[in-house]
Amino acid sequence: MTPAAFNEPPFVLAAPSKGRLQESAAAFFARAGLEFVQGRGARDYRGALNGLPGVEIAFLSASEIVGQLVAGAAHFGVIGEDQVREKTPDADMRLELLAPLGFGHCNVVVAAPRAWIDVRTMSDLEDVASAFRARRGERMRVATKYVNLTRRFFAEHSVADYRIVESLGATEGAPAAGAAELIVDITTTGATLAANALKTLDDGVILRSQATLVASLAAPWGPAALKNARAILDRIAASEKARKSREVRARLNGDARKLTERARALFDAAPATGDAPDPQGYVALHCARDKAADLASWLLAEGAERVSVAALEQVFDARNPLYEALEKRIGPA
Amino acid sequence: MDARWLEPDAEAARSAGERALEHFLAAGFARIEPAVLHPAAIFLDMSGEAIRGRLFLTSGASGEELCLRPEYTIPVCRAYLASPEAGRVAQYSYLGPVFRAHVEGGERAQTGLESFGRRDAEAADAEVFALAMEAGAQAGAPLKARLGDAALFEGVLESLALPEVWRRRLRRGVAHGKSLLAILDGRGASVLAQPGVLAAMESADHAGARALVEDLLAIAGVDAVGGRTASEIADRFLEQAALRSGEPVAAEKRQALDAFLAVSGDPDEAAAKLRRLADDARLDLNRALDAFELRNGFIAARGVRIEEARFSAAFVRDFEYYTGFVFEAADPAIPDAKPVLSGGRYDGLMRRLGAQGDIRAVGAAIALDRLPGKTS
Repeated sequence: MTPAAFNEPPFVLAAPSKGRLQESAAAFFARAGLEFVQGRGARDYRGALNGLPGVEIAFLSASEIVGQLVAGAAHFGVIGEDQVREKTPDADMRLELLAPLGFGHCNVVVAAPRAWIDVRTMSDLEDVASAFRARRGERMRVATKYVNLTRRFFAEHSVADYRIVESLGATEGAPAAGAAELIVDITTTGATLAANALKTLDDGVILRSQATLVASLAAPWGPAALKNARAILDRIAASEKARKSREVRARLNGDARKLTERARALFDAAPATGDAPDPQGYVALHCARDKAADLASWLLAEGAERVSVAALEQVFDARNPLYEALEKRIGPA
Repeated sequence: MDARWLEPDAEAARSAGERALEHFLAAGFARIEPAVLHPAAIFLDMSGEAIRGRLFLTSGASGEELCLRPEYTIPVCRAYLASPEAGRVAQYSYLGPVFRAHVEGGERAQTGLESFGRRDAEAADAEVFALAMEAGAQAGAPLKARLGDAALFEGVLESLALPEVWRRRLRRGVAHGKSLLAILDGRGASVLAQPGVLAAMESADHAGARALVEDLLAIAGVDAVGGRTASEIADRFLEQAALRSGEPVAAEKRQALDAFLAVSGDPDEAAAKLRRLADDARLDLNRALDAFELRNGFIAARGVRIEEARFSAAFVRDFEYYTGFVFEAADPAIPDAKPVLSGGRYDGLMRRLGAQGDIRAVGAAIALDRLPGKTS
C-alpha cells in the first residue's frame, strides 16, 4: 500500500441494503468480476468488493444512499434515479450520474381516477384543477412521496391549483380512500394503478427511472480513491462492452486495411486489439451483438473462407468515457 | 438580539422599520405581534405548493405540519379572528422578521399594516396605500407606485357575460402576465380528443350530458371514485363542446378586453379612458369606476402625488386573494427592481381563514431590506 493510500479514508461504495435492488446490484457488479462480499451474515451493513481490497461497501437504505453521496461520505452509490432527483433538487450540481445500470426500471407518473374520462393530459389537469378550486374553494389533493418531483413537474405544466398530501405507503389507494384526488407514484407495469381504478396521464410521465451508478462530488477524491474509481469503472465498462459486443474473426486474401475501414463504416466494427491491421489478411473485429451475423456474411462475400463469431468476457479500452466524465467533474488525480 | 442587526445594512433596515412603525402607530394602527408558528396548510392552500420550498417546515407534537410565518398578513388575520375584536373595525401594524428558506440567513425584516372591517373601503385603501408610501419615502428615495384594480377587471368580465370557463382562464392568464392572444388561443392544447363525445354534447343540456357521462362510466365499468362527480365531468364536457363549436369569445368582446387591458398611465387619465371605453363597448362599469375615482381622490387628498403613480389595467395579482385595489412600489433608480412595498384589498381571505362572514380587509407590507438608500 502506498503512503498516500494508507492515509486516505477507504473508498466507499453505497449499495441498497435489501430487496430486489440489492440483488440486482450485486449481480451487476458480479458480472463485472466484482463480487459483493457481505460481512458476517446477511444483516451486516458493511461489506467488501472481491478483487478490490481498498473498497468498502456500505449497505444503506435508498434515502441514506443519496444523503451519504451528497455529504461526501460515499464515493459511489447505486441508487434509483427517482430517489436522486427527489432527494436532491440540484442533483447535477452535487452528483455525477455516471451510468444507468439497466435494472430497477420504474416510471414516476401522474395518475388520475379512470372515471375522469375528460382528463387525458396535464393540460386537462390544469384546467380541471383550476375549475375544482373555483368551484369548491379548495385545492385538488395529490398524494405522493415524491414531493419535489411533483412540484417541479406541475410547475412546468403550469398546474398550480393543487395541494400535496404526503403519503409514505400505499399511495395508489389514496383516491379510493378519499384522501386525495390524484397521485404521483412509481409504476412498473401499471397493474397496481389499474387495480385501483387509476390511469396515467398521456404526458404524465415525470421520470423514467432506473438504477444508476452515481458519483459524489463532495467525497474525498485522493489518488487511491481515483484509482479505485478507475478500476471499478474499467471493469464495469469492460463487461458492459463485452456483453453488448461480439468478436468476429476471419482470414482474407491480401491487406486487411481497406476492409477494416469498410467494416467500420458499414457495421460500426472496430479492430479487436486496436488500429493496426494485419498485412496477412487476418481480421478480428468487434461489433454490436445484433450486427455480428451481418458482418460475418459480408466477410464471406469479401472472400473469407470461414468466419467465427465469439462472445466476449471483458473488453478494456484505454479510454473510459465513464471515468472521463468523473474526472471532468472532480479534476485529474 | 440577533447579531446581524449590528451590521450596517441591518441596522439601517431596523431604524427604517422603527420609523415606519411609529408612522403607522401615529395613524392609529396598533402594533400586533402575531405568532411565529402556524399550520403550513394555511399558506399552502392560499399560495399553492409552489411556495413549499420557501417555507421553514416543522411538525407539531401530534404530527401536524407547521411552518415559521413566511409573511405577516395571514398571521395578523388569524390573531384578529381569535381576538374579541373579530368582526369589528380594527387596524394593526407590525414590525419583525418573516422566515423564508431561500433568503440568505433565512429571515427578512418586514413592517406593514392591515385594516379590517371598515365599510368606507376606498378611504381605507387610500389610507393604507398612503401610509405605506409615506413610510417608504421617509426611509430614502421616493418610490414609484404601480396600481391596479381587480374589481375593474371582474366588472369587465361580468359585463361581457363571458362563460365561466373563460372568466377563469382570463383571470389566471392575466394574473400570470400572459397576453390575451395566448390566453384565448391557447385552447387547442386542452380541447379534448374525443370528438364523438363532444359532438354528442353540443346539443345536450346539463342533465343530458350528465346522463351520457354516467352511461359512459357504466359501460366502461368504472366506479366514480375520486373527488369529481359525474356532474362535474359532464360540465367540463359541455364547456369543451362549447369551446369546440365556433369562436370562443366573440370578436367585439375580444376587442373590448384588448382595449381594457391596454389602459395604463396616470390614474386620473386612465379613469377617463375607462369611462369612454365602457361607453363605446356598452359595458356597465359604473360601480367599479366610481369606486376607482373615489379612491384616486382620497389618495390625492392624502397628499400622495397620484399623477406620479402608474395605473395598469393588466396589473392584477392572484384573484383568489386580492379582490380590489392592488399596488406595489419600487425604487425607480433601479431597473426591474423588485417591489419594496406591496399590498391590496383582500375581502375574501377572512372567510377562508374561518370567519363566519366576509370581513373587509386591506393591507400593505414593506420589505425593509429592499428599501433604497439604506446602505452607506
